[in-house]
Amino acid sequence: MNLDWSVVWTNLPRFWDGALMTIWLSVVTMALAIPGGLVLAFMRLSRVRLVAKSATAFVEFFRATPLILQIYWTYYVLPAYFDIQLSQLTTAVVGLVCNISAFNSETFRAGIVSIRLGQWNAGRAIGMTDAQVMGRIVLPQAIMRVLPALASTWVSLFKDTSLVSIISVADLSYVALKIRTESFRIFEVLTAMAAIYWMMGYPQAKLVDWLHRRYKVAE
Amino acid sequence: MPSVVLSPITGSWQFLLQALWTTVVLSALSMALAFAIGVVVGALRTYGGRLLDFTLGFYVDSMRAIPLLVVLVWTFFAFPLVIGHSLNVMTAGVIGLGTHLGAYMAETIRAGLTSVRRGQMWAALALGMSRVQAIRTIILPQALVRMLPALGSLFVFAVKDSAIASVIAVPELLRQTQVVAGNTFRPFELYTAAMLVYFLLCFPVARGVDRIYRRLAHLGSS
Amino acid sequence: MTDSQDRYRRVGHGSAPILALERISKRYGALTALEDVSLTVNHGEVVCLIGPSGSGKSTLLRCANALETLEGGRILFQGREVRADDPKSARAVRQRMGMVFQNFELFPHLTVLRNVTIGSTTVLKLDSTAAERRARALLAKVGLSDKASAHPAALSGGQQQRVAIARALAMEPALMLFDEPTSALDPETVGEVLSVMKALADEGMTMVVVTHEMDFARRVGDWVVVFDKGRVIEEGPPKQIFETTTVARTREFLGHLGWHGESTLDAGAQISVAREDVDR
Repeated sequence: MNLDWSVVWTNLPRFWDGALMTIWLSVVTMALAIPGGLVLAFMRLSRVRLVAKSATAFVEFFRATPLILQIYWTYYVLPAYFDIQLSQLTTAVVGLVCNISAFNSETFRAGIVSIRLGQWNAGRAIGMTDAQVMGRIVLPQAIMRVLPALASTWVSLFKDTSLVSIISVADLSYVALKIRTESFRIFEVLTAMAAIYWMMGYPQAKLVDWLHRRYKVAE
Repeated sequence: MPSVVLSPITGSWQFLLQALWTTVVLSALSMALAFAIGVVVGALRTYGGRLLDFTLGFYVDSMRAIPLLVVLVWTFFAFPLVIGHSLNVMTAGVIGLGTHLGAYMAETIRAGLTSVRRGQMWAALALGMSRVQAIRTIILPQALVRMLPALGSLFVFAVKDSAIASVIAVPELLRQTQVVAGNTFRPFELYTAAMLVYFLLCFPVARGVDRIYRRLAHLGSS
Repeated sequence: MTDSQDRYRRVGHGSAPILALERISKRYGALTALEDVSLTVNHGEVVCLIGPSGSGKSTLLRCANALETLEGGRILFQGREVRADDPKSARAVRQRMGMVFQNFELFPHLTVLRNVTIGSTTVLKLDSTAAERRARALLAKVGLSDKASAHPAALSGGQQQRVAIARALAMEPALMLFDEPTSALDPETVGEVLSVMKALADEGMTMVVVTHEMDFARRVGDWVVVFDKGRVIEEGPPKQIFETTTVARTREFLGHLGWHGESTLDAGAQISVAREDVDR
């Protein structure tokens, strides 16, 4: 097996563009999925049964089905059946945001619920309204608890963006696979692809570990 | 909204059923491989000393950094070039999925092992057991009970991730759904049906594991 | 210390001690758990180790059982040195010593019967019928025959500890170590465990007991060793320690526990530990 790594060096700009797209997709998705997750979480905790049930159905559905299938579904079904014409990039973002919002809503809901009832009572006893208790006492604490889980979701999301390559969005995977078919240097290109993801992902994973250690919940 | 027709599904139901079976087999085999890797790596990281912990930690963290898509594609296209021997899609699928999931499995098992009280190991050693005997008969069974919820969610991961194997043309459910959708030009019915099938596979497992765990929890609490 | 040994003839004197600790020390990083500790245990003796929490008593038991390594000194069990760093010899030592833990440490995923047989089958390689027979006899001895097929979670603390004693006895040890066996129990169940231990002592089992149950130490113990900050500050027969001690620290420690010596006891005052009926 003789290796020729020059194909990697000559295509470095394209790899770079792909990586940037991967990062952009992750950032945009998370930016939209955090409010999305919050909305879903509050809907699930709502006392209006219809609201709670529909939010729960949405969340359970997106968590129990594969993201890759969700992306295909969004891509093929929306234009054909609902007459919605979206670009591939938009479709990818929509699919990712729905999926990650569902996971985030679980994280937020668990965080809010985990704050002991005593905190609520203490806030109310001082005379705060429910909204004030939520805003000043419960939510800040919940955010500290959810930060590690959100960070883990971020790392997953980063990897999930690779799936948008299947609908020809030019992320790192798409770019790398394209270069592979053009150059026939299968081993070098695929290994480079894995290595670039590794270089981006490994530090993030270690950062998440640090976050978990730092924000360990002490009752 | 245009009409919904069920014939594309009913017309190819045997084909799709076969595909569903492939998904189940693929998930089961990759879970099995992941479990084997996870037990070894998890136990070695817990009991094997600092150097082993660090080296194996490298494997675990690398699988957290590299997408499954990349692992699968590399396993099917690049790995055969290393070993000089081609792999069929199913083998590549199981190896890729199993190795990737194995890292998460290892972390779950490691968490389970360390959550068992130290005193249990002392009590086992005090009876004269060797460390290996103690881990095998006393620590691991308790850890497995405690890990039941986590194992359940890893199974759900395995099933969902099996769909990614479609990119290396493993004839599992998503891939075959794409084939039928391409032939019949009815993506809505087929993809929706596929979503429902995955949902029915995954959702009950998560609930079921919770119920089983509540029944068995006392076997793991020391 | 030699004074009391001269005036009082210890149980089992005349033959070599079953367990001898020679100037042992144990450190955890900067923390010294045991410093220059020497003591002996004779065949058939019940030695009670008392002292404030953190004075090193539990650590000493774990060193004796080869569960911990030593920084200094050596331990001789049945004439041979205990080497915690040698897995094979450590295992051999632990097979001949039984240990009962403060937190019982029963194996929750196994039935009570299986808890008692697992040592015999896994370590002694007994066949299952012989192991089961031995286990049932021991469960009968500790009064828990009817709980054989239950899981530990269904038992009270006192019942679990009695099973733990049966589990240790199943290995037919030459020496039994008890690490604060009743400290984690509700007051009502302390008595049932102490009764089992007294019966064991009456049968002639050699026992080393770390305990805060002063009444037990006084009535059942043959020799009492007082610890403080990792050192032995006094040792002697119970009468000496509990009634005529001249060591200030010992008196202070016993005073803390509400123990005021012979006169108070004779007056029939209910010292906290006397709720169990040890003399049954």
